[in-house]
Parts: sequence; structure tokens; C-alpha cells
Amino acid sequence: MNNGAIIEIKHLTKKFKNSPEDAVKDISFTVGQNEIYGLLGPNGAGKTTTLSVLCGLFPPTSGSVLIDGKNIQKDPADIRKIVGIVPQDIALYSSLTAKENLDFYGHMYGLKGKDLKNKIAFWLEKLDLTDAANRQVCNFSGGMKRRVNLIAGILHQPKILFLDEPTVGVDVQSRSVIIGHLKDLNKAGTTIIYTSHLMEEAENFCTYVSIIDHGKILAGDSPAALISSFKGSGNLEDVFLQLTDTKPRD
Amino acid sequence: MISKLAASVRKEYLLLVRDRMGLSILFLMPMVLIFVMTLIQDSAFKTLNEKGIPVVFVNNDKDSLGFLIEKGLRNNDLCSYSDSIHGRPATAETARQAVAEGRFLIGIIIPEGATAAVRKNVNKLIRETIDIDAQSMKYDSSGSDSAEIDILIDPVAKKSFVTAITSSLREFISETKTKIMFGTFSRQIAEIIPDKAREPKNAFTESQIIKYREIYASKTAKMIVPNAVQHNVPAWTIFAMFFIAIPITGSIVKEKSEGSVFRLRTMPSSYLILTGGKLIVYLGVCLVQFLLMISVGLYFLPMLGLPSLVLGSSFWGIGILTLATALAATGYGVLVGTLATTEQQGAIMGSLSILLLSALGGIWVPTYVMPESMRAISVFSPMNWSLDGYYKLFLRGSNAMAILADAMKLVAFSIATMAISSFTNRIKRKV
Repeated sequence: MNNGAIIEIKHLTKKFKNSPEDAVKDISFTVGQNEIYGLLGPNGAGKTTTLSVLCGLFPPTSGSVLIDGKNIQKDPADIRKIVGIVPQDIALYSSLTAKENLDFYGHMYGLKGKDLKNKIAFWLEKLDLTDAANRQVCNFSGGMKRRVNLIAGILHQPKILFLDEPTVGVDVQSRSVIIGHLKDLNKAGTTIIYTSHLMEEAENFCTYVSIIDHGKILAGDSPAALISSFKGSGNLEDVFLQLTDTKPRD
Repeated sequence: MISKLAASVRKEYLLLVRDRMGLSILFLMPMVLIFVMTLIQDSAFKTLNEKGIPVVFVNNDKDSLGFLIEKGLRNNDLCSYSDSIHGRPATAETARQAVAEGRFLIGIIIPEGATAAVRKNVNKLIRETIDIDAQSMKYDSSGSDSAEIDILIDPVAKKSFVTAITSSLREFISETKTKIMFGTFSRQIAEIIPDKAREPKNAFTESQIIKYREIYASKTAKMIVPNAVQHNVPAWTIFAMFFIAIPITGSIVKEKSEGSVFRLRTMPSSYLILTGGKLIVYLGVCLVQFLLMISVGLYFLPMLGLPSLVLGSSFWGIGILTLATALAATGYGVLVGTLATTEQQGAIMGSLSILLLSALGGIWVPTYVMPESMRAISVFSPMNWSLDGYYKLFLRGSNAMAILADAMKLVAFSIATMAISSFTNRIKRKV
């Protein structure tokens, strides 16, 4: 393991049984401790597949994944304790209240009693959801659901946090609140691996960015370094379009 | 571990109580089914038992045999006796037509001289046996010594039913004929041997050496009569318990489609804890369903004039069998939920398979009225194992030991379904 790297991926390939092509093709990268690592790419580029392998949802077809020095296939139980996931879909029970959802997920992460209660109250307060705590999630706006979805993934103060498009479909205000708290979380020591289509958000949020397309990493560096290394690029979106072309994706 | 399981149970409980439609399916639907099916089947029994089988009787004999059969039919609760059609006395021809048209299920025509033929037969028998001069007896040698009684049958009546009815009729007619023969026989003997004091007052009754007693081979002293309540209450309770496969499937598929499974799979919690929460809640639901359905049989059906459910004497047996049935039902629900990929698919797969298993298991129609081939298949339905167990407890008055084999089959079924579900989940993750 490299010095300071909390995630180390070597020659990772993932091929799904019913798919003729590899979803991820021989990619290697490391994520440093306390980094906000952005994995950016168009639809079908392989971002969610990479994230799913890192979370231990699917086994890799080949290659190795080390998280905090542990092999994802050999020690999945140990890894699950230190990671948090905020999926792209709102992974909440719509007929339960925000509090009930967080109570359930908190218990599943091994939290209980007063500690869990305090953490739920703290995060609901922080993300401006205290008044809505006892309302069923099905009655929430998109932004409120996203915020509860985020809390469910960070309640146990994970060492590593995987975020799959955490702000998709939410208003500017909610996005600003979410990103602000994610930055606070990072400052407190959580390493973040983040995927998004929102280049401006990634440019301001990430400390390191990899651009992935067709299952391969095309470029990787800090947003500022990437922008300066591509001629005629004024922002991360320009770099992204130069690397992935302008043709719409399915 | 315990706190995770408790959280899983609490979550499942909250999801269930907030799904009002699901709850109504679980509790109201089977209660309605018990009421409707029991009333339908009970009224069918009553049509036969209270009003009786419509029988048209034509008595051309006008003598002892005809009168005795007529008297017997009139006094028989199984028969709805009639000797007229459209207000006119029935004749052989009109009776045949009425039965053919389905106005009567059975028609009986006693020919003219039937009694005389029986008597002549007896006289002939005595003469041949004792070898006395025919002149010394009051003997009419004219006329036939045999009679042909016609039993008309509605052509659309079910064969097994007709066989049962005509057998009873034949037995009754034969008994009446024997009665006349004995009477004639004892009178003739008394005439030949003029010691009248020796003539028995009721030769037929004294001749009944072999008598029959019908006893239900139940292990309880009390006779438990199989009826619509004794079948329908346990049958629809089992059906209701297995019907929880639909909400379990809905719950599992919804977790998949809403993304909760995605999150749960990345958490430090085992499959056993997540499924355990469902199992415990739905086991509880099954037990509540059982108590409700049994209460319907014990208290509500009698209010509608139906017989009360008889539970037998083994409460241990009932407890073990109910728990085993609940385990089998929840296991089956988890399996369907695991195999289904959408809620619609789960609902169709669940409801159709339960209907099929219930039909095969004897829920709709008891297995003993099924053809042999279907009875052979029915032993593969877990609902049949359960129903068979309840029959043993409720009807045969058996103890807990008698249903252990059924309970073990149900528990084995539950373990198998859970194992297949777990295996399927692992396979699905290895994409």
C-alpha cells in the first residue's frame, strides 16, 4: 500500500455475465487519506460499477482492491464497518418517518441507545430536518429526501464515504447545504469518493478528479491541474468534453 | 446482534401496520372467505339434508309392498316425496318424463301385483320345502311370481351420488320385501301347523340377527361430525397464512426497487438479521390470523346458525402445527420475494402459486373427493400437510404425536425455501 493511500486499486476489471463488454477495463488508482476523490464520466462510463466493486456489492472479475489495507474479497465484514454509502437512488423506506429510517440504518451500522439517538438528532438539526423528523419520507420534497439519504450514510461517522451522485435532482439550496456538510465531514477526517455529472460542483468540491469513459480512466489530477493541462479549457467541463467528446450518451 | 434484530423487527412491523391494503388482505379477506365458503357449502348440505332429494313415486301395486315403500319414503328425511305431477297422480309415463326433465332426481315405479308376486314366491317356497299337497293350502297359483321395480334416474345427476342413493333405495325396497316375505311365511306356517300361539307377532324384527352401528372412528369420546365448518375454518386459515407470501414478496421487492437492499448489502449486517426481522413479524401475523380465524369458527359462525368449530383436545398439537405452518408460509414468501424482480411479478407469482398449492392441497375441495391422480399430486402441497394435520387434531381427536410428521415436513419446507433464497441471493450478487 502506498504511503497515505486509503484505497488502492490495481488492474481492476469488471465484466457482467450478460454483457459482451467489460464495464471496467483494467483500471488502477489510489485514493489518499482525507482526499475528496471525484470519479467523473458520462452515462455508462463505469463510475457506478467501480463504486459498487469498492463497496463490496459485486466481486471484481480480476484485479485487486485494498481498502484501509484490507482486501475487499477477503475481509468484506471489516471493510463494511468503516465505509458509508450514499447511493444515487433514495434508499429509504418511504412509509417510515425520517427518524425511523435513521434509527433502523443506525442500528444496522451497529449504533444503539443514547449514542444513536444523539447522532440522529445532531444530523437532523444540522441538515435542517428536525421539524420533519416525524413525518413519513413519502411526503418529503426531493431535497429533503436527499438530505435524509445522506444522513443514513454518514450516521456512523465512516472513515471512507462513497457518494454516488448525491445531489442529483435537488435545488441549489439543498445542494449547497449537502456539499457544505460533506466538506465539514472531510475536514473531520472522512475520505470521500464521489461520482457526479455536475462538473462545476466537482470542480469546487473535489481535491482530485479522475475522468472515466468506456470503463477506462482517461485522466486524473487536481481540478486546477487538469484545467491548466488541457489547452483552451476554462473549466472542468471543457476538459471533460475534450476527453469524452460531445456526442450524447444513452 | 439482538439490537440489530430488534431494529429489523421494528422496521418490518412499522412497514406492515402502515400498509392498510396489505393488512386488509391479510386479515379481512380470509375471514370473508371463511364466512362465504362455509355458508355456501353448508347451504348445499342443507338442501340435501333438510329438503331432501326430490323423488316421484308411482304406486301401481296398491298393496303391502307399495304401501310400505310409500310410507318409508314419506318418513325418510333424505327424500322429498311426491306422488303427483302438476296436481295429477303420477303415472309411469309422466314420472319418466318429469325425471327426464330434471324435476325429480329419482323416480320409483312399483308395478301392479308386486306384493302378490312376493307372496306367491313365499307360498311356492313353502310348498317345495315342506312338500305338502297344494290343495291343503290357500294358494293362488295365478299371476307372476316376480315383480320388476323401476328406478328412474335424472341423466344429469352425478354418478357417484346416484349410486349412493339407488343403493340405499334398493336396500330399503329389499328390506320391505323381506318384511312381507317373513310375514307371509309365518302366516303360511301357522296355517299348516295349526298351533297359532306359536306364530311370532313380528317375524321380521325377530329375524334381524345382524344389526349395524355406525361409529365415527374418532379418538375422542365425543363424536365429531365432518361438516362445512370443520373443513373450511382450518382450510382457509392455512390459505390465509400462506397468503402472507404476497405482502412479504411486496416488502422484499420494494426494498430492492427502492434501493434499500443496495444500502443494506454494504452494511455490517447479515442476511439472517434482515430476513429474521421479516420472519418474526410475519410469524406473528400468522399466529394472529390463526387466532382470528379460529374465533370466527368458534363464535361467529354459530351466530349464523352454523355448527361451532370443534378443536379436538390437543392444544399442544394445535400450537406445534400452527407454528410449523406459519414457518412454511413465511419461508415460501421469502422465496417468492427473492425470485421476483418486480412487485407485479411477485404479486402474480405469489398469488397464482398459492392458488395452485391450495387447490392441490385440498383447501377448495377436500382431497378425498379428488380423483386418484390428483390425490397423488396433492401430497406435494405443504398446505395439504397442514390441512391433514388439522384434520387429525380437529376431526380424529389425535394428539400432538400424530401431527409431528406433518409439522416436520412443514419445518423442512421452510428451511428448504430459506436456503434456496439465501443461495439465490448469493448467485444474484455474483453478476
